[in-house]
Amino acid sequence: MLALIRPDAWNLPLFLHVLGATVLFGTVGVVTAAGFAIRTHGDHQALLTRVAQRTYLLGVIPAYIVMRVAAQWIDGKEFPNGGEPGWVGVGFLVSDAGVVLLVIVGILLAVRRQRILLAVPVLTGLYVLALGVAWVSMSGKP
Amino acid sequence: MSTYQWLLVFHVTGAFLLLGGGAFAASLNLAALGREKPSDIVLLFGLIRIAVVAIGVGTLLAFVFGLWLVHEAHYGYGDGWVVSALILFIAANALGGIGGRRDDKTAQLARRLAAEGDAPSDELRARVHDPISLALSYGSGLLLVAVLALMIWKPGA
Repeated sequence: MLALIRPDAWNLPLFLHVLGATVLFGTVGVVTAAGFAIRTHGDHQALLTRVAQRTYLLGVIPAYIVMRVAAQWIDGKEFPNGGEPGWVGVGFLVSDAGVVLLVIVGILLAVRRQRILLAVPVLTGLYVLALGVAWVSMSGKP
Repeated sequence: MSTYQWLLVFHVTGAFLLLGGGAFAASLNLAALGREKPSDIVLLFGLIRIAVVAIGVGTLLAFVFGLWLVHEAHYGYGDGWVVSALILFIAANALGGIGGRRDDKTAQLARRLAAEGDAPSDELRARVHDPISLALSYGSGLLLVAVLALMIWKPGA
């Protein structure tokens, strides 16, 4: 959370970007955990599916929008003429490829068939790892 | 990468585990508010344990590497924003710890009721909706968001 001094105008978009990203990480984690728990707690499948669906709609999607909009906002301030370094590219790659993955997860959650639901935690687990790569890249700025 | 960059990576990783763990726990806590069956509460509170581990590791990483970063980036340990962040950080952990202990008792009650027939109970419902426990847990989360704001704005730095 600590970083060297930056222009004041960058602070609000950076705050929203980091806050959105952390909530996205946590809520995608809930979908992953609920999905894996369906495998071991089949008697609670309806509850766990509902938890995954609601967390996806009320947590993952809003957090993704906040994170992504704020990313574009601060990118426009920090690199108004383009030419972003590689660590910014990693962030955009993870977030934009993540849209495709999250849409697939949303469709799978809407279908609610047990065999199909088993794919959800695998996909969201991969996305959790990708988010980890993004935050390491964006904080370390190698 | 420089020492500063490595320290920042570990510090930010701690922040993600801490705040992400908080979002994880809050999502499952909200789900538990709408449940009546003790076995449902047991399952949801059991999943919250994943967040407890993440929050514990995140707290350690954010705190240790945050203090190291203050030194590395030549800020002062007496700077107003650093002192304020430390106070809020400790307060958030205290509130979360007290709230967590109350939730542990709720989980114990839910496990006992689940083993005794899994019938809904007024006592369990009251414990899950206990306003003091909810205020402690969500208050802790709000304090951590305030710490994040202090880290980014660094007022007075």
